[in-house]
Amino acid sequence: MKDFLQKLRGYPALVLFFVCIFGFMILDLICPDREISELENKKLQQRPAFSLSSLTRNEWTAKYGDYVKDQVIFRDGMISLQSRFETVLFQKCENNGVLIGDDAMLFTRMYSLTNSEKALLPRNIQAVEEFAFRHPGQVTFLLAPSASLIYSDAVPLYAPLLDENSMLDDIFSQVPSAQVLDLRTLFGENRDQYLYYRTDHHWTTNGAYLAYEEFCRQQGLTPFDREAHTAVEVPNFYGTSYSSSRYWGAVPDVITYYELDNPLTVWNLSADGTKTVLSKGDMYDYAKFDTYDKYSAFMRGNNGYSTIEGDGEGSILVIKDSYANCFIPFLTANYAKIGVVDLRNYNLSIDNLMESEGYDQVLILYNFQSFKSDARLPNLNR
Amino acid sequence: MVFSTILFLFRFLPITLLLYYLAPGKLKNTVLFICSLVFYSWGEVRFFPIMVVLILINYIAGLAMEAWGRSRSLRRVFLIFSIVGSLSMLVFFKYTNFLITSLNALAGLSIPTISGLEVLPLGISFYTFQTMSYSIDVYRGDVKAEHNIIDFGAYVVMFPQLIAGPIVKYRDVAERLHVLKGRISLAQVEEGVCLFVFGLAKKVLLADNIGGLWTDIIGIYGSGGIETTAGVGLANASTPLVWLGVIAYSLQLYFDFSGYSMMGIGMGKMLGFDFPANFNFPYISRSITEFWRRWHMTLSGWFREYVYIPLGGNRKGLPRQIFNMFVVWTLTGIWHGANWNFVCWGLYYFVLLTIEKVWLLPRLQKGRIWPHVYTLFLVVVGWAMFVGNETGVGLGLLFQKLFIFSGGASPLYFLRNYALVLVVSVICCTTLPQKFWDEAKKIPWIKCATLLVLLVMSVCYIVGSSNHPFLYFNF
Repeated sequence: MKDFLQKLRGYPALVLFFVCIFGFMILDLICPDREISELENKKLQQRPAFSLSSLTRNEWTAKYGDYVKDQVIFRDGMISLQSRFETVLFQKCENNGVLIGDDAMLFTRMYSLTNSEKALLPRNIQAVEEFAFRHPGQVTFLLAPSASLIYSDAVPLYAPLLDENSMLDDIFSQVPSAQVLDLRTLFGENRDQYLYYRTDHHWTTNGAYLAYEEFCRQQGLTPFDREAHTAVEVPNFYGTSYSSSRYWGAVPDVITYYELDNPLTVWNLSADGTKTVLSKGDMYDYAKFDTYDKYSAFMRGNNGYSTIEGDGEGSILVIKDSYANCFIPFLTANYAKIGVVDLRNYNLSIDNLMESEGYDQVLILYNFQSFKSDARLPNLNR
Repeated sequence: MVFSTILFLFRFLPITLLLYYLAPGKLKNTVLFICSLVFYSWGEVRFFPIMVVLILINYIAGLAMEAWGRSRSLRRVFLIFSIVGSLSMLVFFKYTNFLITSLNALAGLSIPTISGLEVLPLGISFYTFQTMSYSIDVYRGDVKAEHNIIDFGAYVVMFPQLIAGPIVKYRDVAERLHVLKGRISLAQVEEGVCLFVFGLAKKVLLADNIGGLWTDIIGIYGSGGIETTAGVGLANASTPLVWLGVIAYSLQLYFDFSGYSMMGIGMGKMLGFDFPANFNFPYISRSITEFWRRWHMTLSGWFREYVYIPLGGNRKGLPRQIFNMFVVWTLTGIWHGANWNFVCWGLYYFVLLTIEKVWLLPRLQKGRIWPHVYTLFLVVVGWAMFVGNETGVGLGLLFQKLFIFSGGASPLYFLRNYALVLVVSVICCTTLPQKFWDEAKKIPWIKCATLLVLLVMSVCYIVGSSNHPFLYFNF
């Protein structure tokens, strides 16, 4: 044995390698498993239960592989290190589908539409037009542009992003029945303001307010007075673009919300029209502001159908993606009742809902990125 | 199971090596056999019986050929039995649906394709060639039949070379398989460790990285051909960008394949075996003839030994030699995949090699720079043919884009984003890093530091590239 150890001293690379693989395996085995990875906003695979049938269906082995990969020790550190190798060592200006722009602005990489998006986009445009045609004079269609369009000069040089500008032209020209809210000019003129998060794909509360002001101008409403309300700023927000890219030079964002006590009710609707309350509370899930995934505090997440009691008159139904979540609080100044539908979690007829709840106005609010890929939009015409 | 995963690196490999090293000499092959079977079955458990049947057929045929050694015709019967056994499995799993669709297209029939054949048994193209080499060698009397089924099984399913070669002939490892004492030497293991780490780095740091340039163009496709990430799109790309993409793909293919082979050879050494080399800097070749002496050497060697030479090689005059080359290159093409573009790719090399043989080779040997340019150009065009059938490509469109100038997305962004990766990749195609390493490894701490850095970087990339958070899930 002593002889053997003596001999090993002549093979340092061998010793190093075996110490690495065995040491790492042992550390990895004793390290406790995690439920989720907050940094990645991802549920991690847990140890799969073994059964003969799951083995023969290749499920157990596949899941076990995922389990080992997901639960690997130093996972967060290694992902950050890999991002650093990419951007510092290999001098890349993107990582994991996120372009790293000037002033640490992170942009979603969109080179073209995927095959399924090529099929979905025309269907979604048609769905909005059909819906607006059935409800003349009632429907406003707000499609928010991506940050990479407004801040195109901050996108890495020559990046061959898809031509969102002409796609938006095309989309807007195909919904003549709706009142279109095109924000490109407005955002372009105000581009020195804080309109989009640097580390997240959403717009900021300020960006949403600008859009809201434009909406009020169109509808002839008096906008929510920001001066009369207390703005609360939540610092240290790292969003989805950061989660993907893990860019080491990311500058954290600040989330702003206005203190409002309008109650929000989340409903469960069944096909026969019965309505039951799922939960009742504030418009914000304040606890979420203290977690990593801060944006999900707005509207308490993406619920199927919820209503808010406002301080104005009349009613409006907002059919939306998560861009609307920081926009809707402003509407409390103008309407008595605000209904909110997220089609990803709601599959009943919108026409029936409008009739039974008596909505006067409809606002369809999406951003370009989810509009092109949301397969549920045709449910507008159920 | 794939080498470049956490599961393999930090579960399978250490446990297997530990068991193998601790096992007494007599049990080492048993450990190797069982662990390799686990490795083989991990991805597709249902293919386990196929391996068992294949081992049995060839084992029995080998014994029978030895038992009836004196009767040439009986020996031949068992040779045919074993070759039909190996080959029919390969043909069934790899080519059935290709044959059906080709037949349908040619004869206007509509025979339905067989479902469940979308996934091949792991490494079937490699291990069936290994078993055939065994039977043929036993038939010829070049090697003694293996009497111990465990030893034979360990040879057939041995995990280091199972997925992507090198194609190891039984006679290359027969001797080591029967060494019971002192099979493992520290010097050899250390050499294996270095090869393994370099192979891993080649695969993870270079191949996967530079491959991103190609998928940036054609997009990424998940199971069932569903596009999960949109690329620029071949139709939208300019001609210079398509060339850049195909060059990136050529680099990826080389690093991927040679990295895998290197890992295999390295692990072979850790287990006490010396596998033959598989790649020898193919991209520095000065002719296509030379390229094929440097690329996937064990496959070319296999075809030379078991097809080309038995057909008469170059001993029966030039026309016959050209015919023999035609056979070999058609087979080489089809071996790479069940599709017509692979057949075309094989024939393309047949034509090039014939031209070189008959006329060009002496002229190439006189040139200095242009033979390199000539070779690389033709090889890259070959890889374009090779990749032409992938989802999102289209052979016609690809060649139209390559050879008829068209505008579109420019390559500037990609040249900038991949600049350093491209430079490093090109350098790694030359013998420069090898020369550097030969000097550097004389200093122990530099050797260790290099290996450690490459290992840590590779593991970070393995973990990091799986970092796909549900970006659009909670939109």
